[in-house]
Amino acid sequence: MPATLKTDAIVLRSIRYGEADRVLHLYTPAHGRLSAIAKGSRRAHSRFGGRLEPFFRLTTILHEGRSELRTVTSAATLAGHPRLREHAGSLDAAARACDAVGRLFETEDPHPGVYHLLANELALLDDDPAGATLSNQLAFRLKLLLAAGLAPALDACASCGEQADLVAFSPAAGGIVCGACEAASFALDPAAYSFMVGALGASLAAAPAAPMRALRQVERAITELAEHHAQVRLRAAGSVLSAPG
Amino acid sequence: MSTNAPPIQRLISELAKLPGIGTRTAQRLAFHILRADDVDANGLADAIREVKERIGLCEECFNLADGPRCRICLDERRDTAILCVVEEPGDVIPIERTHEFPGRYHVLGGALSPIDGIDPDDLKITELYERVAHSEVKEVVLATNPTTTGEATALHIADGLRERSPAVTVTRLASGLPVGADLEYADEVTLSRALAGRRPA
Ligand SMILES: [Zn+2]
Ligand SMILES: [Zn+2]
Repeated sequence: MPATLKTDAIVLRSIRYGEADRVLHLYTPAHGRLSAIAKGSRRAHSRFGGRLEPFFRLTTILHEGRSELRTVTSAATLAGHPRLREHAGSLDAAARACDAVGRLFETEDPHPGVYHLLANELALLDDDPAGATLSNQLAFRLKLLLAAGLAPALDACASCGEQADLVAFSPAAGGIVCGACEAASFALDPAAYSFMVGALGASLAAAPAAPMRALRQVERAITELAEHHAQVRLRAAGSVLSAPG
Repeated sequence: MSTNAPPIQRLISELAKLPGIGTRTAQRLAFHILRADDVDANGLADAIREVKERIGLCEECFNLADGPRCRICLDERRDTAILCVVEEPGDVIPIERTHEFPGRYHVLGGALSPIDGIDPDDLKITELYERVAHSEVKEVVLATNPTTTGEATALHIADGLRERSPAVTVTRLASGLPVGADLEYADEVTLSRALAGRRPA
C-alpha cells in the first residue's frame, strides 16, 4: 500500500475524538469506506476550516502511518452543499443517506457506483431541499441495494417463477412472490410494485411518487431485504423531524 | 494479562474510561496517585464523590446546579426575556466569559443525531417549548454548535418555536470566520455565510 493516498471522498460521519481531533468516516470511489483521523480539526484555527463536517465532498490526501487509522493531511472542497444545511428536512435526509451507505458498505471494497449515487443524492438535496421526500429516500435506498447486489427480484415470483398474480413481497425469497408462494411474505400494493420498478429504472431525480401506504410497504421491503441478506439494520428512511403532522 | 495487583488494575481501568485517556496514560496517572500523599489522593476521591452527590441539573434550565436551581436562574438581575439555548452545560461557560449575554440559558443535553439514535425526545426540547410558552421570553437565541448535528438541532427547534410561539423572536448565533483565522483556509460554507452576514464597515 502506498504511504499516501489521494482520493475524493464524501464525509459520512465526523466523530469528536480526544481534545481537538475528529475521526472521519469517508466514502471514496476506489477504496470504499475509510476511517481517518483529522488532528486538530476542531480548533477554530484549523486549516481544515469546517470542511470535514458530514456531507462535504472533498479531495483529500490521507497519510498511512503505522497505526490503523489514516491521517488526513489535506482536504479541498468539491462540494459543500450549503443549501441542504439550511433546512431540517434535507439535513435529516442527507444524514440518513450517509448512514445507509455506511451500514451497507462498511468495508474498503470499491463500489464507485455507490460513491456517485451518494454524491448525486447530496447534490439533489442541495439543489432543492424540498426534494427530501420519503420517495426520494426510498429510491436512493433501492439503488443502494442494487449496488450491493441485493436488488429485489421484480420480474417474476422470486420463489416459483410465476409471472401472474404477484401480490406479496418476501424478504427471504428476495423479491415479489405470487399468491401461491405467499408464506413468509407481506402484501404489496400494485402502487408499491410500480414504485420499485419505476425507481430502479429511472434516475434519482426522476423517482416516481406513490401513496404513503405503498411507500411504507416499499420501506419495509428494503429494510427486511437488507436485514435478511446483508444482516444490516437500516434506520427508518422517514424522518421523525420532517414527518408530516 | 496484567501483572498489577487487582486494586491498581481497577484504578487503571476506571481512569481509562475517561475521554481522551488511553491505557498508558491511565497507568501513569494511577502510579502518580499511588505515589501521592494520602491527603491529595483522598482529596481527589472526595471531590469525585461530592460532585456526584451534590451537583444535579437545574430544574429550570438543566444547567449544572448545586441545588434545585442553578446560580444563573437564581440571579434576579438576569434578563428573563431572552433565553440562550446550548447543547451542553460546558457551552454556558464560554458564553458567560464574554459578559455579553444578559439573559438565561436552556441546556438541551446534546444535539439531534438520528443516526446515533438521538431524537427530540432524548433532549430537553419539549421542556424548552413549555418554558417559552409559559414565560415572558421574547427572544430565543439558538447557540448550538455550528456542526451538522448542532445545525439540525437549531433548525428543528426554530421550526417548533415558530409553530408554537409565533410571537417569540428566534435568532441564531452569527456564523463567520474565527478571529485570527486565515481566509485561505476557510471552507466555502463558512465563507459564504460570513459573506451573507456581512455588516457595514
Ligand atoms: Zn410463486
Ligand atoms: Zn438554571
